[in-house]
Amino acid sequence: MINRDEALVNITWRGQNGDLPDPVAYDAPAQRVLAWVAEAIRTGGVPGVAADSRVDLRDFVVERYAATGNRAVNRIVVRPKTPFGAL
Amino acid sequence: MKTVVIVGVGALGSHLALLVRNLDAQLVLVDFDRVEQKNVLSQFHTRMGVGRNKAQALAQALQGMFGLKVETVPHRLTADNTDAVLGKADVVVDCLDNGASRRLVQEWVRAHEVACLHGALSADGQYGRAVWDELFHIDNEDVQGAPTCEGGEHLPFIAQVAAQMAFALQQHLEHDRKRSWDLFPGGANPL
Repeated sequence: MINRDEALVNITWRGQNGDLPDPVAYDAPAQRVLAWVAEAIRTGGVPGVAADSRVDLRDFVVERYAATGNRAVNRIVVRPKTPFGAL
Repeated sequence: MKTVVIVGVGALGSHLALLVRNLDAQLVLVDFDRVEQKNVLSQFHTRMGVGRNKAQALAQALQGMFGLKVETVPHRLTADNTDAVLGKADVVVDCLDNGASRRLVQEWVRAHEVACLHGALSADGQYGRAVWDELFHIDNEDVQGAPTCEGGEHLPFIAQVAAQMAFALQQHLEHDRKRSWDLFPGGANPL
């Protein structure tokens, strides 16, 4: 059950991807989201992502996608920067 | 027939051109850069193209291998030539490698209400995006000219992202759908 003001958080870390087990507030500050995610990765709390004591999300991006007809719940995506496509 | 303008034919753009070659669309390839030996590892460019303009080398390869005729623009996209380069596009595909050029594309497609699919990779080659403009946020490189996922070990993932972009483009051209994904090696999440 996810309330309207909450969101699922998806993370990609070193090519592994998973969701935080519990939803967070959709409008939580980005720095808080990054801290929660880092702690979860550090302790092995993200299914699909191996525990990593050296996790460092300082340059990661926090993006928010509100629920729509195609997206059943709010989602927050924590991801690496993606500046490249061509070089 | 619709016109698809692919801006940047390096890692993502070159493989995308290969994968959309059967779509009912006129392809236009845009790139000012030249093929370097190292590009052969991670891009759909061959040793025969080394030293040549990427757009023209790829066009020649596509014609030689598949008899496919594409148009080329062997110039850098700038604020002065955006109208000329993108003007006849029904869809723009952004496979660029820097935030400044991506912003030129994004500003133009939004001003002209032209569909735009963005492709993007992280520097470590472990994360990618195939995202329509409505959901795309531009990331700047931390340091200009920073190393990228250009080594040959990233080729399977580059191909995965390019294939997802090709599928997104096909869905749009044939069914007028805009589907976007986050990608990681071996998987994808719809946005």
